[in-house]
Amino acid sequence: MPESDGYALSLTKKILRFLMVLNPLFAFLILALLVASLIWESWVMTALGVKSEVDSTKLIFAMRTIMVLGIAAAPLVQVVLKRLMAIVESVDSGNPFVLMNAERLKTIAWSLVSLEVIHFMIIVVAKGASSQELPIDIDLKFSFTRWLAVLLCFVLARVFEQGARMRDDLEGTI
Amino acid sequence: MPITVKLDDVLYERRMTLTELSEKIDITLANLSILKTGKARAIRFSTLEAICKVLDCQPGDILEFTR
Repeated sequence: MPESDGYALSLTKKILRFLMVLNPLFAFLILALLVASLIWESWVMTALGVKSEVDSTKLIFAMRTIMVLGIAAAPLVQVVLKRLMAIVESVDSGNPFVLMNAERLKTIAWSLVSLEVIHFMIIVVAKGASSQELPIDIDLKFSFTRWLAVLLCFVLARVFEQGARMRDDLEGTI
Repeated sequence: MPITVKLDDVLYERRMTLTELSEKIDITLANLSILKTGKARAIRFSTLEAICKVLDCQPGDILEFTR
């Protein structure tokens, strides 16, 4: 393996490890915010920029729903990161073309689909509750790139399946 | 698998061991054992040629198709 590839792999592992710590931390912070919004509603909502003089019941419910969806996304992100780490480790050990990696890529693809569904749900909730007086300031754009990534993962899973079979055949050839 | 390997029989007829064959055709004993026990998925023409040359036989003497 070229030295630059080895460096890239080592860097990728470090980034993945960092994200695997950061992701549950973010989920915990969102959970803390959700709990705080239930206990100290007016204080948290003022801190989030909700004006107290306007009726904000609908907006508060929407924000809590978005928080719950955010927490629900964390385990999915963790699954993606863990599987990606396992794939990177298999590349490091010199044996990436195994059926297990194809399964991992499929899991990543389905997790990404689920994350996109959650993203879509957040868009629906935010659009439904956002108004001119009380707008929800979240990036609500549809991303073609993310769906392309999903497609890429499914295709790569198939490539790995084929690669693993070809490798098995080659190993069994005398 | 319907293709069976009869390498053992031919070796017995030639009074040759698998180790001797592996040394003569320059294929590892482990790989020849895989071939002999029918665990191989495929055999290269070059391997078959080398075996036939050393054992002075035809590919049909080594491989047999059974229904």
